This record gives sequence, C-alpha cells and structure tokens, in this order.
Amino acid sequence: MKFSFNWIREFTDVPQSASARDLERLITMKTAECEGIEPVGGLLAAACIATVASVEEMPGGHHRKAVVETERYGLKTVVCGAPNCRAGMTTVYVPLGTKSIGGVESDGMLASGAELGINRDAAGIVELAAGETLDRCSPDGVIEIDNKSITHRPDLWGHYGMAREVAAILGSELRDPIGMDLLPAGNAAIDVSIADFSLCARYSALVFENVTVKPSPLWLQYRLEAIGLNPINNIVDFTNFIMAELGQPTHAFDRGLISGATIFVRPARTGESIRALNGEDYDLAETNLVIADASGPVAIAGVIGGEAAAISGRTTSIILESANFQAASVRKTSAQLKLRTDASMRFEKGQDPENTTRALARAVALLEELSPGIRLVGGVADGRKPAAEPPVIQLPLDWLARKLGRSLAVADVRQILERLQFGVSESSPGVLAVTVPSWRATKDIAVKDDLVEEVGRMIGYSSIDPQPPALLASPPKPDPKRLFHRELRALLTGIGFTEVYNYSFVSLEEIGRFGFTAAEHVAVLNPVASGQELLRTSLLPGIRRNVVENTRYFDSFRLFEIGREIHRQPAGLPDEPAHLVAVVHARDDGAPGLFELKHAAETILPGAAIRPVAARSFEHPARAAEVLWRGETVGRLFEFGPSMEIDGRTAVLDLDLRKVGRRMGGESKYTPPGKYPSSEFDLSVLAGLREHVGDLRAKVAGFAGSLAESVEYVRQYSGPPFSEGVKSVTFRLRVGSPERTLASEEVGAVRTAIIEGMKGLGYELRV
Amino acid sequence: MLEATLSALEQSARLRINGAKSLEELEAVRVDALGRKGTLAQAGKEMGKVPAEERGRIGKLLNAVKGNLEEAFATKKRLFDEAALKARLDSEWLDLTLPAAGVPRGHLHPISKIQAEIEDLFISMGFVVLDGPEVETEYHNFDALNIPAGHPARDMQDTFWVEGGHVLRTHTSPVQVRGMEELGPPLRMIAPGRVFRNESVDASHDHTFYQLEGMMIDRDVSVGNLTYFMKTLLGSIFGREVTVRLRPGFFPFVEPGFELDIQCLLCGGPGCAVCKQSGWVELLPCGLVNPNVLRMSGIDPEEWNGFAFGLGLTRLVMMRYGIDDIRQLQSGSLRLLNQF
Repeated sequence: MKFSFNWIREFTDVPQSASARDLERLITMKTAECEGIEPVGGLLAAACIATVASVEEMPGGHHRKAVVETERYGLKTVVCGAPNCRAGMTTVYVPLGTKSIGGVESDGMLASGAELGINRDAAGIVELAAGETLDRCSPDGVIEIDNKSITHRPDLWGHYGMAREVAAILGSELRDPIGMDLLPAGNAAIDVSIADFSLCARYSALVFENVTVKPSPLWLQYRLEAIGLNPINNIVDFTNFIMAELGQPTHAFDRGLISGATIFVRPARTGESIRALNGEDYDLAETNLVIADASGPVAIAGVIGGEAAAISGRTTSIILESANFQAASVRKTSAQLKLRTDASMRFEKGQDPENTTRALARAVALLEELSPGIRLVGGVADGRKPAAEPPVIQLPLDWLARKLGRSLAVADVRQILERLQFGVSESSPGVLAVTVPSWRATKDIAVKDDLVEEVGRMIGYSSIDPQPPALLASPPKPDPKRLFHRELRALLTGIGFTEVYNYSFVSLEEIGRFGFTAAEHVAVLNPVASGQELLRTSLLPGIRRNVVENTRYFDSFRLFEIGREIHRQPAGLPDEPAHLVAVVHARDDGAPGLFELKHAAETILPGAAIRPVAARSFEHPARAAEVLWRGETVGRLFEFGPSMEIDGRTAVLDLDLRKVGRRMGGESKYTPPGKYPSSEFDLSVLAGLREHVGDLRAKVAGFAGSLAESVEYVRQYSGPPFSEGVKSVTFRLRVGSPERTLASEEVGAVRTAIIEGMKGLGYELRV
Repeated sequence: MLEATLSALEQSARLRINGAKSLEELEAVRVDALGRKGTLAQAGKEMGKVPAEERGRIGKLLNAVKGNLEEAFATKKRLFDEAALKARLDSEWLDLTLPAAGVPRGHLHPISKIQAEIEDLFISMGFVVLDGPEVETEYHNFDALNIPAGHPARDMQDTFWVEGGHVLRTHTSPVQVRGMEELGPPLRMIAPGRVFRNESVDASHDHTFYQLEGMMIDRDVSVGNLTYFMKTLLGSIFGREVTVRLRPGFFPFVEPGFELDIQCLLCGGPGCAVCKQSGWVELLPCGLVNPNVLRMSGIDPEEWNGFAFGLGLTRLVMMRYGIDDIRQLQSGSLRLLNQF
C-alpha cells in the first residue's frame, strides 16, 4: 500500500522540517513496516502556470516556437513539440535552463502530465481548465508500506487512517475531511434489500443525477498517480480516491442500466454468471455474495462490478454504493474466482461499518467539484444490522506493567490511548475501562493483550530494559535422541564423512530409478515446480544425486545425511523415522568403502552384525547385507548397482536411527582383568570360496567352549596347494581361565574339540 | 718382574683401546686383553711365581689393571654405541611435511553447526529442545496458532498441501503447540527444524529452509524478558554485544508482535549496502504469546503468559558465512561443504 506524504499532511500537521523519510521512520518504529520511499513530482517544485501567448511553426515542421507568459518567471520563449500547443491555452512551464533547438534558444519547457508525474498522458502538454491552479500539486514522497504488516489493521488501508496514526504518534491534531451534514435527509430514491446481515452488515447508497463524465482536476489526478492508480475519468477516479483516503471501497452503477428500484444483496443463485468490469465471465455459486437488480447480478459483492451497469460516456445518473461485506465471505469468493482487487483486499481485513456513510458524505463534496451541476436524488438508502455497542476492555495497569516489564503512570497510558482515539475512564483504582473506536473494533482490538501493543509501541520498546526472568533455574530434560544424532555427526565427520542436507521432495523419475512406486509416497497436492510431487520415503535418491553431481569434481569422497523418511499411513499423520545414510565413493572396486562403512556401523552400534541378504533392484547383486543389532534389523550395507548409473563405485550404509534410538556405548560393566596368562593357537579351516567367514568363525567359536576368550580372524587364502574352489581361513584362538593357568592338556582339549566338531560338520582342518 | 709386565700390558692395551677404529676392533682388543685367554689372564697365571709377601700387593695391582682396562673399554664402547645410535637415528630422517596418513576429516553442514551452538546456549538457560513432524496437521500449523481458515494471514505463507488435509509445516511454530500440549506450563523450549514454503526459488528464496522456534511460558513474562533473551541469543551467535530494537510487526500467534532488528554489524549504524543504508537489519519476528494460542493449548492466559520467537536459521547461517545463494545449502556440493 502506497501513501502520499502530502495527502497525509492534509489531515494532520507534520513539522515543516520533517521529510517523508522522517515520517517513514516513525511509522516503522510505531506502526507498520515500510518498504521504501519514492519521490514523485520533482519537477513541480519549480513549475508554474503559463499562458501561451503565441505559437510559430519552425522549419521542418516538428517543432514550434511558443512565447509564454509564466506566473513566476515572466515572458519566456520555448521550443515545444507537443501537437496540442496553441495560443491562448493555459499549461505548465518548467524552468530547465536554456538550450538551442533548431536555431532557437529555448528557455525551459512546457510539460506533459506524464513529465510532471500528474498522470500518464505523454501525448501533449498538460492543459488547465479555467480557474484551475497547481495549489495541491507539489513534490511528494510516496511511502510504501508492507501489506503484510497491516493485515490486522483495516483502518490503515486509507490515508486518513494513517494520518490518524501519525497524529497519535506526534500528538498533533487530526482534521476530519468529512462533513456528515452534506448527506441529504429524506426518503431514499432506491430501496436496499439485504438477505443476510452476517454477510453484509451495512449497505448504504446514494443516487446522483445530471452527471458529466470527464477528466478529473489535476490535483486529484496527481494524488492518484502518486500512489500508483491510473487516473481515468472523474467517476472512476473519485471512487478510487475515496478508497485511498478512507479505506472504504465504493462502486458507481449507471442508474439507467439498473432495472427496478431495489438493490438486492444476496447469495448468487445456482447457474448465475456475470461479466465483470475486467471483461472476464464468472460462473457464480451460492457461496458468492452478489449485488443484484431485478434482472440479476450487477456486481460481485466486495470484489468487482459488472459490465451490465457500468459507467460510460453516456451515463447521466449514478447509484453510488458504499457497503460493508463480511471479510471471510469476500476472501473466499476472491480466492475461489482467483480475483483479488483493491476492494477485496480491504474487505478481507474487516472494514468498519460506520465508514459507509462517511464515504458517501465525502462523495457528495467531491462530486460537486468533479462534476459541476450534479444533483442529489433523495436521501441516503441505508440498510444495516443494528450497530453494536462499542466494546469496552478492562485494562489493569499493574498487569500492563508486568506484561511490558516497565511501570507506567496512569496519565501516560491514558494519554496514549486517547491519542489513538480510544475512550478511557478509570473504572476502579488502577484499572482503565477502554472503549474501542469502531474502526479498531472489527477484529483488531478485542482483548486487553491487544492494548499492550498499543501502549508498548507508543512508549517505544527501547524504553523497556532487558531483564532476565525471575525464575528458578532447573536443568532441562535430557534428550538422548538429539545427543545421539550429534554424536553421530561428530563421529562421522571425524572419520572423513561430510554432511549433506537434501530436500524432502522426490520426483517420479527418481523413485522410478529405485523401483519405488508413487502409491507408497505422500503426494504433494500443489507443487510449484517439477520434482516436488512426492515426499521421500528414503534418503537414497537424494544422496545418489549428490554422488553423481560430486563425481564431476572429485574422484573419491565420503558423504552422509541425517534426515527423515516420510511414510504414508492409513490414517493420521505420516510416519517420519530419522535415518542415517553414509556413502563412500571411489573409482576402485568399492570393497574398501564397504568395509569402511562396516567399521562405521560397528563403531556406532557396538556388537552389530552384518548378514548378507538378497539385493534389491538398485543394489549390487553380490554386495548387499543387512545390519543387525540386538537381534533386530536396523539397516543395510550395500554397494549401488549399475542401474544407479554412477561413474565409479559407491558403498552405502543406511541405518534406521529410530530403531537404534539411543546413544552409542551406553552403560559399561566392569570385570577385573584375568590374573593368569592365557594361551594362543591358530587353526585353519578349509571351506568353499563363497562360504562366509563370519559363519565359519561362529562355528569355530561354538565348539571352543567356555574357556575360549576370543576367536579372531587372521587371514584367508586360496590357490596352490588347495584345489580350485577351496580357501583356507585361519583363526587365532585365545584360551584361558580367570581362576588358574590352564594346563597344556586343557588347551589341547579345546583345540581337539574344535577340530573334531568342525570335522563333524564336514570341514577339513589344517593344523 | 710381573709388576713391570702388568704396567706394560696396561699401557699397550690402553693404546689399542683408544686407537680402535670400530666396535669390532675394540672387541678384538677386549678379547686380546681381557678375554679368558687374553694377556691379562696369562699374566695372572704368573701369580704363583710371585713371592708370598708380594702376592697381596701384586694381586691388587692385577685387579686394578683389570678394572682400569674394563672401564676404558666401556668408555670407548659407549662412544661407539652413541655414534652408532646417532647414525641410525639420522638415517631414519623423515620428511614430516609429507601429507598426513588416514582419511582427512569430514565437514559438518553449516546449519548443523550453528544449530548446535544455539541449542547449547538455550539448554544452558534451561530450555528443552523439541521436535515435531515435517508433515503437520492443519490444526497445529494454523488453527492452534490463531490462524483459522479464512484468516488473511494464511496468505502470508505459501503452503504445500499434501493428501489427508495435512500440510508441509510452513514454520516451526506448530512445535510450540506440541510443546504446550505435551509439557504444559511452565515451559521453556526451542524447536529447530526444516520448514517449507510453496514459492519459486531464487538466490534468496528456497522452498525448504530451517527455522528455530523458541518459547517461554511462565508467570509474568514481559517484553523486557524477551529482549533479554534475544540480546543474549544474538550476542552469543555473533560473538559480541549487539544492539537490538523492537518495532511493531503482525503475526497472529503473538500479541503484541514485533520485528526485531539488530544494529548493522558491518557498519555499526551509519548505514551501508548490507543494511540498505538504514543502520538496522531485520532479523526475527517475536512477541508475547497471544492469549488465544495459550487457551487453545489448554493453558489459562490469566495465570500464564510468555514470549515466542522465530529465528531464520538458514538466514543466520548465510549471514554468518557470507553465503549469497540459499540454493547452495541443499545442493550437496562438496565444493561448498568442504569449506566448513
């Protein structure tokens, strides 16, 4: 929303020395967020009215030499290219220094409306009507306020409302531009029928006749142009002007095109449609409130007018609507029709029903100037639900002081609220009864907390000293999951892994590559870009993309991500288990990467086991395993298969952190180290080439009995003298007892037990 | 007679010990002089020929010569050993400027780093760290935060809707609601996490980013308490005293609501390009918790109140490290990540 500094100054006094920038700073600190300031109408500082005394064609025919009588600078000769430049016209002169054009010394220029910033007319120089002055046309500063920051302030969607705010900040007087006595008394020329007061709290209207449609005076065009509204003609312009000034949208219908003498405010009927002023056709539903005459809808309430009763050059009589529509209803209709207008934006915020007749009174005053000879027909038509009593809020001052963290004198609070035009009385000692003015009562100010802000922003939050709370300190509950994730991050970065963050979105193409189906994913209903259709059920697609992209710059690397999978559930919110995915990428055969990840898994999960399993479609068919921990499958260790189309090899560890869910290590239990020496011996088992060392080791350990302290893998070997398809796997056994030194016969018995046991299973041993 | 032999023997052995050029040569001298069949042993055999009254004196002399020679030998041997050790150590010279062995360390994502810092700060002030789902109910994301359906504030955030009427949370504020529901008052919590906005992506906007929500509920929590925590937070993040200011800002879940600005750390106030010449940088929205929000989560606003704030974690990371393109943060690019 743009605000003209000059317009605001019409309603309240701002110190002469203050600039638009100064005002912007005040508004920023006390009221709403400003996005910037734009100077407009700079040329108007030196401009003055000039009458063209004579015009002389110059050779070439493009330019003319004009002699003008200026109000401030005397007689001047200028070269002018405007086609409308003619002797006797009144226009605007701007001194710009002298330059030679076509051999003529041109001293200054005659300016177009566009050059002056008054309107968008660049076709010729501006022409003043008889008696018209430049009185309200001076350089201005336009302050742009962030719309979001006044979402809750319907009253700030017009200049008068902002001026009221400025007056409160500065403590200056506020001048109301409205003369309610201008409203005619007597019976209205039309009737208003409101179907549902909850959808339309008030509908006021006034009929004018003997209307002349013509351009607006320059001062009004300038006001509109400054805040970005294109001046069109006096009827369109005055409705825009009133909206920009009072925040109250109004709409003018051509009375001659309205059938009947009743304006209906009602829900649209099934099957009704309307061609709007923007030229678009809209099919209406019962949820859309419309303004209708005897023959059908003539406007979508609070959003846009219809073409059927639009103002045109032939219009001589108008019905001026100034109404109050329910915020939610307008918002819904505007969203459903995908049509946001200046009017709907204002109604959505919850406008003040008291403002409708104020806007009509303002129209009466304006139209007398904009359309001379205009006449009022009848009195004000005014349908409304009975005005509500203004809300009164009890504000205890000690409570206010506790909320703000600063004490305040009653008189100060009172003055602040009164400047903001709240009614204030002391209902009991230390408690103020605060009456909310109608323009703040629609939804903005409802409870005493809302008044904390009013007082706080006016005293300035910088006047409140920072203070630690007067509370008992207590340590927060520990959060083992978060600590675990942190430990993981520290561990993994310590052993060379770099953390990545990937998006929660995946595309159909990506999940297709992994053989996942769309049906198992939570779908995003309104993605803005492709690749955002689904939510990830696995971190793997993201990390695969990271691998592919980083291979362009690096031969080998280690990455990890801790993030959430999102799994759809039959009902309720999706399940979101946290996962860790770590990868080792290298150009070589990938085996070292898998063992590095196995080491990481065993470090994270002491005692974890790896169990080879059938590979999934995207895994290397001969390099896939599950990670088991405390009897449960908690993840997978594998290499990406060829369908992943990665240049090089990528080993992957994927752990479900929710199943792991606790800190590494955990509580330890101490047993004293043995006092007696233990013995060692090696055994080699002959086995098939693809027999798992882990299984062999488990078997050997099983036969070793309780005296075995450890069974360690030493090496494996295949080749001569062993036959094809056979390998020798060597284990080192340590046997001992906490009670005594074992006799060599006892050690030998363990050894024999293993050899006999393994032989029983069909293994040959090399001893 | 034997006395003279011993003296000559000692003298000649000493000469040979001192003159030995190598450990082997020295060893040969030792065998010659002190060995079982060495010259000294030979001389000892002559003892029987010494008159009885001389035997004691000559015996002592023999032992003295033996002792002297052993000492000389040991001294010389030590010289050789030391030289040998020195030579060996010297031969083991290593170029320690060669690259380190093992895997070079990895890198933590900058968001993880800053998040951990802020978590630790708040934990030290008695806050719990809470978590909520990324796919949220409409109730927790909007309604319970005083943003009912039809509220214009819903337009302030472009929302990703998913099946089941749920949303990808547009802010971490729903974790406030979960915190109030689960823990009740008094409450001190923060909630860092991933949030989503359905908008087009450019260097300063991404559809996914990180926020850190904070909330404190107790009796008589004031605006002054809020500024205290914010000053402490920001002072710790930026590692120095910061000047902050509050100005009005509208967010339905707080009343009053503020925008908190920090005095520009680059220019310190006079104005520069970073602060758009204003001297201030907008940093975080905050405010006192709206009584409707408390009430909806079952907390009596007459008894309890509090403050809440929302910190743009991603934005903070970008400010701290001077990252000018938000898309870099979730690109998985090692060329970015290796810098942290």
